[in-house]
Amino acid sequence: MAELFSNLALGFGVAFTPINLLLCLIGALVGTLVGVLPGIGTIATVAMLLPITFGLPPVGALIMLAGIYYGAQYGGSTTSILVNIPGEATSVVTTLDGFQMAKQGRAGPALAIAAIGSFFAGCVATVLIAVLGAPLTKLALAFGPAEYFSLMVLGLIFAVVLAKGSVLKAIAMIVFGLLLSMVGSDIETGASRMAFNIPELADGLGFATVAMGVFGFAEIIRNLDAGAEMDRDLVQQKITGLMPTKKDLKDSFPAIVRGTILGSILGILPGGGAVIASFAAYTFEKKIAKDPSRFGRGAIEGVAAPESANNAAAQTSFIPLLTLGIPPNAVMALMVGAMTIHGIVPGPQVMQKQPELVWGMIASMWIGNLMLIIINLPLVGIWVRLLRVPYRLMFPSIVIFCAIGIYSINNAPVDVVLAGAFGLLGYWLIKHDFEPAPLLLGMVLGPLMEENLRRALLISRGDWTVFLTRPLSAVLMATAAFLLVLALLPSLRKKRDEVFVESET
Amino acid sequence: MSDTPSRGPVKYIMPKWIRGPQDFVGGLALIAIALFALWASSDLQGMHGFSFGAGTAPRMFAVLLLGLGIAVMVVGLVTDGEHITTYAWRGPLFVSLAILSFAITIRPLGLVISAFASFIISALGTPETKWKETIIVGICLTIGCSLLFPYALGLPLQLFPRFLIQ
Repeated sequence: MAELFSNLALGFGVAFTPINLLLCLIGALVGTLVGVLPGIGTIATVAMLLPITFGLPPVGALIMLAGIYYGAQYGGSTTSILVNIPGEATSVVTTLDGFQMAKQGRAGPALAIAAIGSFFAGCVATVLIAVLGAPLTKLALAFGPAEYFSLMVLGLIFAVVLAKGSVLKAIAMIVFGLLLSMVGSDIETGASRMAFNIPELADGLGFATVAMGVFGFAEIIRNLDAGAEMDRDLVQQKITGLMPTKKDLKDSFPAIVRGTILGSILGILPGGGAVIASFAAYTFEKKIAKDPSRFGRGAIEGVAAPESANNAAAQTSFIPLLTLGIPPNAVMALMVGAMTIHGIVPGPQVMQKQPELVWGMIASMWIGNLMLIIINLPLVGIWVRLLRVPYRLMFPSIVIFCAIGIYSINNAPVDVVLAGAFGLLGYWLIKHDFEPAPLLLGMVLGPLMEENLRRALLISRGDWTVFLTRPLSAVLMATAAFLLVLALLPSLRKKRDEVFVESET
Repeated sequence: MSDTPSRGPVKYIMPKWIRGPQDFVGGLALIAIALFALWASSDLQGMHGFSFGAGTAPRMFAVLLLGLGIAVMVVGLVTDGEHITTYAWRGPLFVSLAILSFAITIRPLGLVISAFASFIISALGTPETKWKETIIVGICLTIGCSLLFPYALGLPLQLFPRFLIQ
């Protein structure tokens, strides 16, 4: 316990330096902006801003990128409530009751509850990261290559099971991602693999490039498909009275707590992340409500629970990254990229060797959440005005910004062309209902998986049963197999699809 | 995507016995990718003794992808699924052209010309573009980027054409 406090003290010491406070604020602001504007996702933004963080010290860079991620969860809720457009996928369910509340003239309380819920969830998640960080790190140090490999298999299976859509196609995307990660030099022999003697491919495909392609460019192309002029039916009336009533608070508090718990758990699990957390929290609230018919007609719990859940999940998803070095979702995969650029290999060593980095980031999350509540409530009007920027002007700007961003990573024009090619690939994937997120996850985990697989087999002298004979590894593998079977069972599939039905109404 | 309703009549280019064309074609493409990867990694060393060669893992995953591709294709054959949605040409074409032109011009012509040209090209991607405002926004964005990237962030980007500086 004493260790925990000294760690947090160290963290706050780092986070409270003026430069880090400023970076945290910038991150939160950019995140809110991204969250508000539909058409730019969090993943694309983090990829876009990676090069910007080159010049910053590592702590500052990570603080800013983290700020963007949880800031986007806040911003997404604002547009969901006011204009019925979810700025982020994580806020899709918030539109159901949030917009109804706004129509009834209760936009103020809805926004306030969303912010309060998010703040509460953020606080709990910050403490959770601090508490779970050290023990999980110790556990991770006991892991051998076999255990690591099994853990990653489990992680990827989790990602598949919790994701939307076909299990088979999601696995195919992961394997495709693994294959893409093999391009470039082999770690052990240095042999050039599938690079076709193209010098720019010798180092492998950068995943900022791939991410920007399949998430940034592909998203733009897809949006153009649908017609640039999106239907933006703004709630024009002035927002009066931000303060929720006593009854609102009483109604929403249990929902906030439940959302936070659910979100924290789903955030730690790989693949789930914030999107599934918000869906699950909403469905859960509806299930346990005395009068489920209130949902969809402006029930405040329907705003409080998913907004708390997505924020909690956004933050707890840092736990596997910081302790095990395994990114549980695509945004965290990009954080790995950011850390690698600064010469940090994510994993248990980071917490021991560079405690100021990890704890500084954790402390900054709490500060960032506080900033967000201050930024969001009084400035709501400004954010909403931003929505009037038409997409026909926004998308060329995003294209240019992405292009400059990719180019500046290596000063390589080829990277820009590659990102464009991956953009077309991403568009094709969307058209054929393949999810791009597992692809990115596979790509990031690829080198780690290969390395650990090779080492495990070398140690066991080529014996493949090593993954099943080492107890810890066997448990992880068994869990993975069990989950996969469950996901393929028809009865559960139906349930799983039900959770996502909400998004299509 | 299940949430993008197909607009207009969908042309049936696929024979009728393929019940889920979207998955069928998707599976075929995965098979093609896997075969390509197998071919591309065929010159790499395989297992020697207990240890992996450079080519072992790529071939392993390629075979896995091949199997998954076949499975996706079979699913597309035997179960009713989505039809292939129509592709738009305008957005993909001009956005790709803009990206390509940026990549080609950034080195010789510098950020200012390159960024502005790409902005205009990508704006062609939608028929809704109004040229007056697009040009104004394009100029503002170019100025903004020219200040942000080289100056505020200190990235080594060349602003003006090479032949003007020399």
